[in-house]
Amino acid sequence: MSVSNHKVNKNTKNYDPTVWVPETHSHGTKDIWLKFWILLGLTVIDVAFYFLMPPSMARNIIFIALGIIKAIYIVGTFMHMKHEKLSLATMIILPMIFIIFFLVWMMYEGNFWGSI
Amino acid sequence: MSTQTISKSNTWKGGNSPFNVSYGKLMMWIFLLSDAFTFSSLLIGYGAIRYSFPSTQIEQIDQLQLSFAENVQEKYANGADAHHGEFFIPALRDAGVFSEKQWPSPDLVFNHFPFAHGLHLPLIFVSLMTLILILSSVTMVLGVEAGQRGDKKDVTKWMLWTIIGGFAFLGCQAWEWTNFITAGATPWSNPYGPPTFAALFFLVTGFHGFHVFSGVVLNIIIFINNIKGTYERRGHYEMVEKVGLYWHFVDLVWVFVFTFFYLI
Repeated sequence: MSVSNHKVNKNTKNYDPTVWVPETHSHGTKDIWLKFWILLGLTVIDVAFYFLMPPSMARNIIFIALGIIKAIYIVGTFMHMKHEKLSLATMIILPMIFIIFFLVWMMYEGNFWGSI
Repeated sequence: MSTQTISKSNTWKGGNSPFNVSYGKLMMWIFLLSDAFTFSSLLIGYGAIRYSFPSTQIEQIDQLQLSFAENVQEKYANGADAHHGEFFIPALRDAGVFSEKQWPSPDLVFNHFPFAHGLHLPLIFVSLMTLILILSSVTMVLGVEAGQRGDKKDVTKWMLWTIIGGFAFLGCQAWEWTNFITAGATPWSNPYGPPTFAALFFLVTGFHGFHVFSGVVLNIIIFINNIKGTYERRGHYEMVEKVGLYWHFVDLVWVFVFTFFYLI
């Protein structure tokens, strides 16, 4: 009788970490092309902001925000992160959230270096 | 008692893959995280240094466009191609737009497009490069999808398109560098303004370009292995997925290089 109620991998009996590969199945190509058009649209929006809005820190934050949205689609769909386990996704994405904070912070910080 | 304490989960007790990914794929993810740190440090450094200089004021550029026709053309070009580096840079240095004291606007530095001499076309070429890289990312993920179906022929087709996309991007990068270098930029001097601008441009786009180059080499290896039937015999196409992860990462980094160098 099993004492565990968690889902065991299909190949657990012969699990060998050096060769074990989970079974894969295709998620179709429709989603891929949808994400391509979204990424293209976001790039066009970037270019539109560049030409229509005068440079400012607000515009920079818009560009970084659009970059992060693009990153979500690339990592989520193209890199299949949305089909991975939450524990793996957390391990990879959590450190990057701190990096984004650091990036914006240092851009702001740089403003004061010139006047020292 | 003891049966109750272990009834929760034995995910981490060995004998299976806790993340439900293969060893190689997990290591690829961890490598990409570390590589993301490296690129982040470069971009954080760029952001901080760029804002330690004042920006080129938009009024300066607008004023320049008004006076450009009469002043620059007459004084330097004699009606010739005024956007040619020879006349364009000295004219803008005289006008105080390109100076060591302020960060040059990418608008005025990267405004060339192949076969469109003398036209002021900022951001257009680099948008094309972005499009090429996103498209090659799409063909890569289509190759991965073909691998998941075990379709060898489709993997070959999409890998070939990905390799072509990679070479196209590298060609664009080389063209961009050639323009910048022939204008007089080196890693320690920059006719457009602070030398740090050129140094950071060469460092960051060079580092990214080398990643693209490595990615193309890896893609070619996968392409050849697939033709030889290595993955068909192995029974799975996981190598395509792993190299695909790397290729998408290169695309992802470009999204941010584009944002920081050309938009901000």
